[in-house]
Amino acid sequence: MLAHRLRAGLALGLLLAAGPVAAQQLTDRQLVTSLSQVSSEAPAIDIALLMEEANANVGKGVANQPNWSQLTHLAQLLVEIDFENDSVAIEPQSYRTVGLIADALHHPNLMFYKFLVVGHTSSTGDARHNLKLSQERADAIREALTTTFAVSPDRLYAVGVGKEMPVDAANPKAASNRRVQLINLGMVK
Amino acid sequence: MSGAVAIVTLFMAGISSADTISYADAVSALAKDCGKDIKKLCSGLNLGNNRIQDCLQKNEAKVSPTCTSTLTSVTASISQRQAAQTGFFKLCEHDAAEFCKGVKGEGNILACLLKTKRIDNGKCNQAITDAGWR
Repeated sequence: MLAHRLRAGLALGLLLAAGPVAAQQLTDRQLVTSLSQVSSEAPAIDIALLMEEANANVGKGVANQPNWSQLTHLAQLLVEIDFENDSVAIEPQSYRTVGLIADALHHPNLMFYKFLVVGHTSSTGDARHNLKLSQERADAIREALTTTFAVSPDRLYAVGVGKEMPVDAANPKAASNRRVQLINLGMVK
Repeated sequence: MSGAVAIVTLFMAGISSADTISYADAVSALAKDCGKDIKKLCSGLNLGNNRIQDCLQKNEAKVSPTCTSTLTSVTASISQRQAAQTGFFKLCEHDAAEFCKGVKGEGNILACLLKTKRIDNGKCNQAITDAGWR
């Protein structure tokens, strides 16, 4: 058990460094382990303020904004979910990733926690359009999880941030910047 | 009324059979057997709110037979897993009170029950398996 945890922790570190996790590498156990590392000093996150900051900083980035910068302190994982071009439709090859997230959110270790889905794009295309599309895609993931996969809607929030918080800032057009962040927001009250 | 009966039936199926599958495996089967049909017939539609399921059912005449049969089994297996996860708390209530007295938090109770050899043949044990929490 301990050995397993160490392995998962190490894998998580490597994967975070390398960008989004491909579905075949990801397991629901890995998701449960990494997402349940909650610290008691975790900051409270206001979704409306995140949206406000993203809308007020189109083209300028949000990494240094007060609310966005708080997110780095929370237990989280990056995943890759592919969508049809300029659409909210999740590609069938990414169904598994959404299913893995659902399995993790239904695990007793995580079932009373709230989560934030953050959608990111690369810098290809118009910044404002990217922001809108990423919000719609984050909403689509939330919708799939709360309907098809029966996760309680009061446990899931969604926000899009377009191209404003690249994981590879030196290469804003890199595909690795297109990603989904799944963040543990703490216990459901 | 028939809705309630169906739920009860699925619930019973969920807790008595040992072969529920995870959400991930369920939708992987859907993607594998229905991916082509989804791309062709349900382009632009999302996984949420039964849209894919409704689209495949509406186009049943054009959908491959493998996909139709996978869709049925995937839908059933998701309901089964769901029922098993909901049923866990009730089915394991007694064992938790007996063997994990004073343990707080669902995750910790599950971890305790998993270590408790004396529940190995009971309904609670089966519920943990069906819920996919081993």
